[in-house]
Amino acid sequence: MGYPEGYLSERPPWTTGAGIQDALARRAIAARRYLGVFLLDAGALAILWILVSYVYAWYVLGTTAYTLVPWWAFAVGVVEGAAAWGSFGLSLGQRLLGRDLGPVKGREASSGARVWYLLLWHVLVLPGVGFLFDPPLHERLTGLGLRPRGTQGVAPAPWYRTSAGLFVAALLAVTCAAAVGVTVSWTALVRLFRQAGETVDFWRALVSPDTSILLDAGRDMIITVFMAVLSTLFAVVVAVPLSFLAARNLMRGPLGRPVYTVLRGAMSIIRSIEPIIWAIIFLVWVTALRSAFAGILALWVHSIADLVKLYAERLEAIDQGPIEAITATGAGRLSVLRYAIIPQIVNPYISFTLYRWDINIRMATVVGLVGGGGIGQRLINYIWGVQYRQAGTVMILIVILVWAIDYLSARLRAKLA
Amino acid sequence: MANPYLVVEHLTKVYERGQVLALRDLSFAVEKGEFLVVIGLSGSGKSTLLRCINRLIEPTRGRIWLDGVDLTRLSQARMRRVRRRIGMIFQQFNLVDRSTAIGNVLTGRLGYLPGWRALLGWFPKEDREKALANLERVGLRDKAYVRVDQLSGGQRQRVGIARALMQEPEILLADEPVSALDPATSHSIMQYLEQMNRQDGATVIASLHFLSLARRYGTRIIALKDGQLVFDGLPTAIDNAKFKEIYGEDAEEVEVR
Repeated sequence: MGYPEGYLSERPPWTTGAGIQDALARRAIAARRYLGVFLLDAGALAILWILVSYVYAWYVLGTTAYTLVPWWAFAVGVVEGAAAWGSFGLSLGQRLLGRDLGPVKGREASSGARVWYLLLWHVLVLPGVGFLFDPPLHERLTGLGLRPRGTQGVAPAPWYRTSAGLFVAALLAVTCAAAVGVTVSWTALVRLFRQAGETVDFWRALVSPDTSILLDAGRDMIITVFMAVLSTLFAVVVAVPLSFLAARNLMRGPLGRPVYTVLRGAMSIIRSIEPIIWAIIFLVWVTALRSAFAGILALWVHSIADLVKLYAERLEAIDQGPIEAITATGAGRLSVLRYAIIPQIVNPYISFTLYRWDINIRMATVVGLVGGGGIGQRLINYIWGVQYRQAGTVMILIVILVWAIDYLSARLRAKLA
Repeated sequence: MANPYLVVEHLTKVYERGQVLALRDLSFAVEKGEFLVVIGLSGSGKSTLLRCINRLIEPTRGRIWLDGVDLTRLSQARMRRVRRRIGMIFQQFNLVDRSTAIGNVLTGRLGYLPGWRALLGWFPKEDREKALANLERVGLRDKAYVRVDQLSGGQRQRVGIARALMQEPEILLADEPVSALDPATSHSIMQYLEQMNRQDGATVIASLHFLSLARRYGTRIIALKDGQLVFDGLPTAIDNAKFKEIYGEDAEEVEVR
């Protein structure tokens, strides 16, 4: 009587392998949740602090300063600020992770409990000691913990009543102030309006085309289109196989996950370097004075990184149903790929490729500006040579080309959807 | 003494590192030729149970014996060979939308095709003829070359049945085959399953929402509640009290005619 079911007949959970795993996992989840909130809060406070210091130094002191205080005071301030924020208000980290601090069970939290929580935070949460227990020790001692927000049946406060909302508003305001301080000067603003008249000759030249260069310019435009076509085609050849290795849902397990992480990381680094930078790198590399080849290489590298991301994201969004169904027929892995996955991605892949080709046409022009060949190189030569009429002609041609390709690619993509 | 055809022993499935217990220590046996219906509320573990049988989902603990073979111990490669004998149809049909009806039906033969032929899509002539015959059987011969996203729900499920027929299955797993369909279509689909059970001798294990359908088509019913077996017996043995136990105190029975 009164004994729980399974009493003395089942092994306690912590003596089995699965039980130990579960226990560790629960502690890890709790630690990650608290750490996530703290890091978000500390990061946000650090950014706000730096911006406030900068704005204050710029407008009031007339100097440049990022913290106004020694770095250690800055660090302590940020950590303490994050702790206090998380203990007494709805912090940004809690807001973003969908949590708030409240009683784990029972009554509403007293402010005494919150002070107690803040003190314990320094010895149990920050050093991580509290997470050796399940539930975490500080939750047991204070009765307070991070709980899912909005599950208490209380309407959430409007943004201007929560500290997280006010914080974001303050952050936006200070960011604007800092940005204006950094980039805009009074003299530049005055010039923008006062010297507008002096550019009349320039504008006039641009709209009076020089038709004698049409043939040469046309030839360069064809080169530009070829650059885009070649770089896109070669990028597809590399990006399609890579995309399967960069899709989270296909790369599971101890071998797959690291490959996925490294590949995605490498691609985002490559993508963050603009094609124009790549063009300069390759111009140095292949040491040519005027070379569409360097331009093609630049676009190729950047397109690979971009397409891998687009392709992989599409792969991650595929319907798992057909995979399940084809696997259930006893088909092998390659057959599942061929019959359940590929039919779902062919059209999106073609669509992304066309889109990237369209981007590459525009990028090929930009890459030409630094010497990567094609119409862009002709344009920059005219501009440096103060041949504004010819430059204007080229610009009109570029507008027509880009518009036409844009239209064509949009129509084709609409067909595929 | 001959062992039952399919034996499920102490089957347990734990999701998300111990957070969700989908199946708890489930044990039952199925004889060859039965039409077993699994009932229970949404989330009671019906889908998980069916997917554990062909190991689309790996069981956490427990055994599944099919014809004397322990499926939970098989390697992936050997499990694939077993799956060829287990047909499956799904609530959401799980067809490849961009492919034609016959294209979908042919995938039922993939388990029998060498890898390179599968990659090239070279199905033997007999397979193509068989696919057409099976589409004929489910009344969709004239839709063979239509893309399946052009078909209605009932037609799509019939394509799913034709795909399963291609495997000439000894067992058919049906995961809520009619939940996405209207009542009239539901009966037509269930009748195809009944036909496979009676004429082709396939053992059918189907999960269903409606008790009325379960009573009409099942030779035996098991009921799950929170991943536990709460009923195992003949369809006629489910009275009002049993019904409330399975579906909860507030439940009312709804008829599908």
